[in-house]
Amino acid sequence: MATADVLKDTGYIQNDTELTGPFAAALAKGNLIVQKCNDCAALIMYPKYRCPACFSGSLGWEQVSGAGQLQTFTILRYGPPSTFDVEAPYGIGIVKLDEGPQLMCRLHPGPDGTWDHYVCNQRVSFAPADAAEIAERAAAWFTAA
Amino acid sequence: MSEIWTPPYPEPGSANDAAFIGIGEIPSGVYRERGFMAQIVEASARAIKDAQLSHTDIDQIVLIPCLHGIPDQADLIFSRVAEELGLHGKVKSSVMVHSGGSTSDNATRMAAGLIASGQARNVLVVYSERWGSADLQDMIDMLSVNGIPREWEAPTGLQFNAIGGLITQRYMHQSGSSAEEMAAICVALRDWANLNPNAMYYAKKLTIEKIVNSKMISDPIHAFECPFLADGAGAFVMTSATEAAKKQDAWVRIGGSGGCVSHYAAGQDADLGVLGWVEAAKEAYEAASWGPEDADLGEVYDSYAAVLAIALEGLQISSKGEAAREFHKGRFSPGGEFPLNTNGGLLSAGHTGVGGGTALLIEGIRQLLHRGDDRQVPNARRCIVGGTGGSYMDAQIMMLERATR
Ligand SMILES: [Zn+2]
Repeated sequence: MATADVLKDTGYIQNDTELTGPFAAALAKGNLIVQKCNDCAALIMYPKYRCPACFSGSLGWEQVSGAGQLQTFTILRYGPPSTFDVEAPYGIGIVKLDEGPQLMCRLHPGPDGTWDHYVCNQRVSFAPADAAEIAERAAAWFTAA
Repeated sequence: MSEIWTPPYPEPGSANDAAFIGIGEIPSGVYRERGFMAQIVEASARAIKDAQLSHTDIDQIVLIPCLHGIPDQADLIFSRVAEELGLHGKVKSSVMVHSGGSTSDNATRMAAGLIASGQARNVLVVYSERWGSADLQDMIDMLSVNGIPREWEAPTGLQFNAIGGLITQRYMHQSGSSAEEMAAICVALRDWANLNPNAMYYAKKLTIEKIVNSKMISDPIHAFECPFLADGAGAFVMTSATEAAKKQDAWVRIGGSGGCVSHYAAGQDADLGVLGWVEAAKEAYEAASWGPEDADLGEVYDSYAAVLAIALEGLQISSKGEAAREFHKGRFSPGGEFPLNTNGGLLSAGHTGVGGGTALLIEGIRQLLHRGDDRQVPNARRCIVGGTGGSYMDAQIMMLERATR
C-alpha cells in the first residue's frame, strides 16, 4: 500500500511540535500567547492536547497583555545544566499572568546587572528576548513593571 | 460533582491487615567500592533476618527504582534481584514501582493491597542507589532533564537546586522566616544524623553560622542547604497481621493514607508555598481517625528545608508560617517536643535518590518497632510519614501505628 493510501487520522494535535511550535514562533516575533479553548474559552498554560476544563480537543491561541505577578524567583549561581549554554548567574521566575495562566520564565537583570530588586508578588511585565536568543531557548522573559 | 468516597481501610487486627515486620539498612554516604547489586542483597538479607524469616519465605518482590543509571534500573525491571536472592522459581513476581521521592509510600500501598487481597504473603521491598559515587555533572544533568518539562521549563535553565530556590523564596516570603531560621532546619536534621551511625554525616557537626556563611547556590539556598547525594540501600518486609502474630511480639500497621498530586511542572502549582499537603492530610487523618496531636513522631521528606517546612504546616504539625521558627526554637531537635526525621533526613543522612524517602519510611518503622537505639523515641506508638516526588509534584502520607500481639 502506498503511503498516500494510508488514511490520515486527523482532528487532534498529534505531537509536541504542533503543541509548542506556535508559542515559540510568537516569542520570536516578540509576542506572548497562551492556548485558548475554542469551546469553553479557558486560557491554558502549559498548552495541552485537550482542554483541562471541558476536555475539548478544539484548541487555539490568544495573545495576552504580558502583565502579571511574580509568584517566586531564584538566581541560579552554580551548576547550570550542561545542555543549557548560558553562564551563571541567571534569574528564573514563575509569573501568574493577569489573564490567569502562569508560567516559568527568565528574568531580566536590573540596570546594576543583578536581580536584587525582585520580590515575591511584585508586578512584572513581558519583555521579550531577541529572536536569536529565542531560537536557542524559547522562554518568555519578564522584567520589573 | 463527584461523590465523596471514603475508602474502607482494614480494621486493626483483621486477618489480612498489612504489617511491617522487619527492616534492613546499610550506611549512606560515598562508598565507591560498594556495588549496586551487592547493596541490594545485603540490605535485603538484613531485612529478612530482622523479620525472622528465611529468604525463601519471600513470595513477592517490590523494587524501588534507582536513578543513577539505566543498566542497573533494567536489572531491577528484569527480575535480576529475584535470581540474586535465590528466589527464581519461587517468587510470584518481581516488580518496580516508581513515583520518584514518593515511591516508598506508593510501593507500600501496593504491597499492602497485595497482602490485603490475599495475593502475596511476605513482600520484600528494597532500594539501592549510587548517587554518591556517580559523576557530579552527570547527576546535575540528570536532575535538570528528568522531571522538568523539556518543552516549557528546560528553556529557562531550570534544574533541581533552582526549584528548591523557587520554593524556598516563596516560603520565606509568605512566612517571614529569616535565613537563620531556615538554616536551623538543616541543623536540627544534622543533630539527628549525629545519633545515626548509618547517616552520611554521623560524625560531622553543622551550625547556623556555617550555613549562612556558605556560598549562595540558588537564592536563597546556600551550599550547606543543598542535599548531598549519597550511596545507600535499605529494605523492609511486609506480611499480614495473621502471619506477623506467629513470630512477632510487635509490628507496624497502616492506619490510613492520603495523597494529592498537585502538579507535574513546578511552574504550574497553584501555590509552591503550599503544595498538596493540605488535601493529602485531610484524607489521611480521616482514614486513620487520628491526627498530628496524637502522633509521637514524624518522618517527612526533606530534600530542602522549605520543602519540609511546607509539609509540616500542611500536615498541621506546625501552625501556618511557623515551622522554621519552631525548628529554630528546637521543637524538632533531639530532646525537643516533637521528634522529626530521626535518621537525619535526606539533608543529613544523605540523599539516596528515590531511596531517600524510603530511608525515612524505614526509620519510621524502626522507631515503632522500638529498634531505634540511641535515638529511640520513648514508647513511640504513632508516626506520620510524608513523601513527595519530582518537583514536589505530590504529597503522600502514611499513618503508621505500632501493633502488638
Ligand atoms: Zn474547554
